[in-house]
Amino acid sequence: MNVSRTRRTFLGAAAAAAISGAAGCGGARGTTWRVFSGHEARTLDALLEWIIPEDDSPGARGAGVSHYIDRQLSTHFREHRQAYRDGLAATDRLAGGDFAGAPRKQQQAALRKLQRDPATRPFFNLLVPHAMQGFYGNPRHGGNRDFASWRMLGVPPLPVRGRSQYDLTAGGGNAKS
Amino acid sequence: MSGRWKLWMAPAAVLAVGLASVPAADLYYQSSWGTGCARCHEIGIDYDRWRHATHRNINCVECHAGSLQKDLRRVEAHMAGTVPDQVHLGPQDIFDMLPRCRKCHEQEFAEWASGAHSTTYARIFTDSDRNRKQLLMDDCFRCHGMHFEGGIKDLVEPVNTVGPWRLKDPSYANLPAIPCMACHSIHREGAPLVKPRERVSAQEEIVRPSVGLFDRRTRMNVSAAILPLPAIYEGARPVRISSDQRQALCYQCHAPLATMQAGSGDDRTPLGIHEGLSCLACHEQHGEATRQSCADCHPRLSNCGIDVEKMDTTFRNPKSAHNIHTAKCLDCHPKGVPKKAAAHESSILH
Amino acid sequence: MRKVDAVIIGAGASGGVVAKELSTNGISVVVLERGRWYGPNDDRKDDLRNQRTSILGNNSGPEDEGNPRVAVDAQGRERIVLPSQGNYSNNAACVGGGTLTYGAMAWRYHPKDFRMRSTYGALEGSTLDDWPISYDDLEPYYEKAEWEIGVSGDDSANPFKGPRKKPLPMPPLALNKECVILKAAAGRLKLHPFDLPMLRNSVPYNGRGPCMRCRWCVGFPCEVNAKCGTQNTVIPKALATGLCELRLRSMVKEIQFDQKGHATGVAYFDEHDRLQTQEADFVVVAGAATETARLLLNSKHRLWPTGAGNRYDWVGRNLQGHTYTGAFGYFEEVVYDDIGPGAGVAICDFNHGNPGLRGGAMLANEFIRLPIQFVSMLPPRTPRFGPAHKEAMRKYYRRTIAVQGPTQEMPMWHSRVQLDPKVKDRWGIPVLRISGSQHPHTIEIGTAMAAKAEMWLKAAGAAETWRKLPGHNVTGGQHQAGTCRMGNDPKASVANRYGQVHDIDNVFVADGSLHVTNGGFNPALTIMADAYRISEHLIKTWRGTRFRS
Repeated sequence: MNVSRTRRTFLGAAAAAAISGAAGCGGARGTTWRVFSGHEARTLDALLEWIIPEDDSPGARGAGVSHYIDRQLSTHFREHRQAYRDGLAATDRLAGGDFAGAPRKQQQAALRKLQRDPATRPFFNLLVPHAMQGFYGNPRHGGNRDFASWRMLGVPPLPVRGRSQYDLTAGGGNAKS
Repeated sequence: MSGRWKLWMAPAAVLAVGLASVPAADLYYQSSWGTGCARCHEIGIDYDRWRHATHRNINCVECHAGSLQKDLRRVEAHMAGTVPDQVHLGPQDIFDMLPRCRKCHEQEFAEWASGAHSTTYARIFTDSDRNRKQLLMDDCFRCHGMHFEGGIKDLVEPVNTVGPWRLKDPSYANLPAIPCMACHSIHREGAPLVKPRERVSAQEEIVRPSVGLFDRRTRMNVSAAILPLPAIYEGARPVRISSDQRQALCYQCHAPLATMQAGSGDDRTPLGIHEGLSCLACHEQHGEATRQSCADCHPRLSNCGIDVEKMDTTFRNPKSAHNIHTAKCLDCHPKGVPKKAAAHESSILH
Repeated sequence: MRKVDAVIIGAGASGGVVAKELSTNGISVVVLERGRWYGPNDDRKDDLRNQRTSILGNNSGPEDEGNPRVAVDAQGRERIVLPSQGNYSNNAACVGGGTLTYGAMAWRYHPKDFRMRSTYGALEGSTLDDWPISYDDLEPYYEKAEWEIGVSGDDSANPFKGPRKKPLPMPPLALNKECVILKAAAGRLKLHPFDLPMLRNSVPYNGRGPCMRCRWCVGFPCEVNAKCGTQNTVIPKALATGLCELRLRSMVKEIQFDQKGHATGVAYFDEHDRLQTQEADFVVVAGAATETARLLLNSKHRLWPTGAGNRYDWVGRNLQGHTYTGAFGYFEEVVYDDIGPGAGVAICDFNHGNPGLRGGAMLANEFIRLPIQFVSMLPPRTPRFGPAHKEAMRKYYRRTIAVQGPTQEMPMWHSRVQLDPKVKDRWGIPVLRISGSQHPHTIEIGTAMAAKAEMWLKAAGAAETWRKLPGHNVTGGQHQAGTCRMGNDPKASVANRYGQVHDIDNVFVADGSLHVTNGGFNPALTIMADAYRISEHLIKTWRGTRFRS
């Protein structure tokens, strides 16, 4: 790193303190998520990977399904925020504190409990369709990165379709009745 | 008196801090190389992409520096939580990008500016010859005007085949209908470009990650690497097409109808003597000019004495014997192809 | 507001037709539409936000905010539902109504569909009856709808259709791969497959271009403007007369009457939520079966304290739609060719004449299924997540054909919409409460149709098949009908054969609410044809300020 850039960074950091205070931006926030904390996102990613695992094509993690959920929780699925917070905390708890960091066997056992326990089942039942939407839905909503699932299915992201060349002045296209 | 002064003091202080923070913010964003911008988490994904992109050495503000008004609007949206579902550049941002692209890509820009793809909104949407024959529709935006925010009825009036047609917002008239961002995405992974020492050979077509059609529906560029290369037919016969994946971008707009017949719709798949050639074997990438490319393969004077560079190779008339996309051996050799030439023809590697 | 000859409520399939017919015949009209005028740019083919898949909202109204309904399930549990949620029975609230986003199948009902009671006799537990009009009465108007709004297809190979005087104005679209497979198989079964009719340009027609055959059709407005709805056919014609004014975002509160019960106009909330009055000599209600019934129930008067036309408690009853049944077939080869709209071949062999069954269904291959829709169409024993689910998506998506049909429903007295006593919309107007269930015989018919679909798929070479069985819940949705039955007996119907509400000389219903039964077909063309028929009656009998009796 050259000197001038270091100096600019320093000045910037000083200004940053002033701005973030004024603008109310918490500097500790993760950079990529609207709703989740970094840890919650890691738990969610690990959990989603069980719902749509990677094989020779990307799974939920590779397709960015958690981004879909994060974005929708900030808009259309606002009412499910608490369910996710509680559900992800329960997921961690069932895996001994950190689902994403737990060994596969322990994750699997936690997943089984998550599905069966009447307290966590509703969260799991909420999560599965959301995972499918984020994976198989259009990438514009934050998931299905680079049309990963559509390509897996053999559906081109965009079809090849030309315009029909017709000429209404040549008498075409006028109803006779 | 002093009480009143105190009353004024608080807002004045806020104002002073506010005013001071504008240049401070500017400095901050410039110096933090993106992390400061991305702290507002709505752009996290785009920021991550840019960090791994070809253009990662270009600071955010070099492309995104907006007016004070625009910046304030962004902050307001962030604070109020009214961030749109999908953060994206508006049409004006797209047009503002052009001179910035030009700064580094002067030759490409010049080629584009001299070619058909630099056409304007006025020329595409108020062409009375075309508008009389075919009704304007929203699907027009798939290939031109893709960044326009609104439907066809918001851009042109009247939407009928009678006319006269005019753009509702005349300031669009001379704006490019297929700007750089129609086919290029800046936030795409890839190493920063270095000038190649020698020319890349024609055998090594590279689909740069940044090349991709701006899909108006999803408001994202879909990489040419994952766009389909269609199977094209002439009648029931499958037409040989080059495997050059870059053509997938061309085929999005120069596309056949659903029947996939060569020459239908807007298709320009070469048949006849040029069958199997990639679009980019003849067309320059940005200017689409082809004239120079004839000489790449053809001797200036062919055996029969025709100057290939002076032939009328019009493609507008699909029935022309010289139509470069469909010319067959028999078009120039009505009495049959000389044996030697035929052997030569089949030995050309397409 | 200046008084006009007629006020039309709703700019959908029927309201658009009535507006055009009246205004081109010199009758001034105001059309009040509660929704907006949407185009393809408003949803941009969003697979999670459209008329059929409304996970993130719908694309053709009404908005989720301020438009609740109350849904009551078979166990009597009630809950508040939003337009984008299941059980709301939403169709649309926009110019064109359902015709903006529909799949656009253009069916004429079978002659027997108008004579269900005479054909099959009474059915215990059902209000099954004959229409007051016959197929022959409606035939000229079917033809008018086909030619004015535009239908492509070729039903000449369908021996089960009612007689038609004129062929369809446009040829069918070329068959896609699954249609070719199914057509050959139906031929082998000695059935009678044909190219189904669609309100869709296959060639340039009415000044618009043909279908581009994309994969986003049903549920979306058309980007090439090839799908023919009222928003791009009759409504522009009405507006061009200068006699038709279309007011958007105008929510009608009630029909207003004078002391004697003669309608004087309507009260409505305009786009700024101000309460306005529009006076008119007569009122045409065309809000589709759920909202039309709601408006009549909300239009109270000393003479009809429970709502206009409701003296004998018929308004809102007999809510019908279609429970869709059929089957899926897995083929070892790829059958998906990405050529839309998808649906293309149909059989009417099983609409009637099924031993022991009162009716049946038209069966056709389905529209293209986007990946998110296919998630819920996998074979029944597929795990709902995990590696096996992903593998199933990969295996089945491009190798599956779906054949389905709209089951002829037996109308039910207790399947109904009524006003909820508590819940109101954002204008303070009481909202609908939907309740009811399917008649056991409807389930029987649907189950039989699923077996027929499965048989067809097996004959086509399907290596594996699974059925889609009928649901037990009350339907409505896009095919909603029946809530303001027309009939000759004022004690057992809401309106007469011309849609004129009993007891009120100048209030007409012109939409699917009038259907006595709803056929085994998609109802759009029948709703349009009937609107032409009613319009003709209005034009013929209206004498300046009143109707010739």
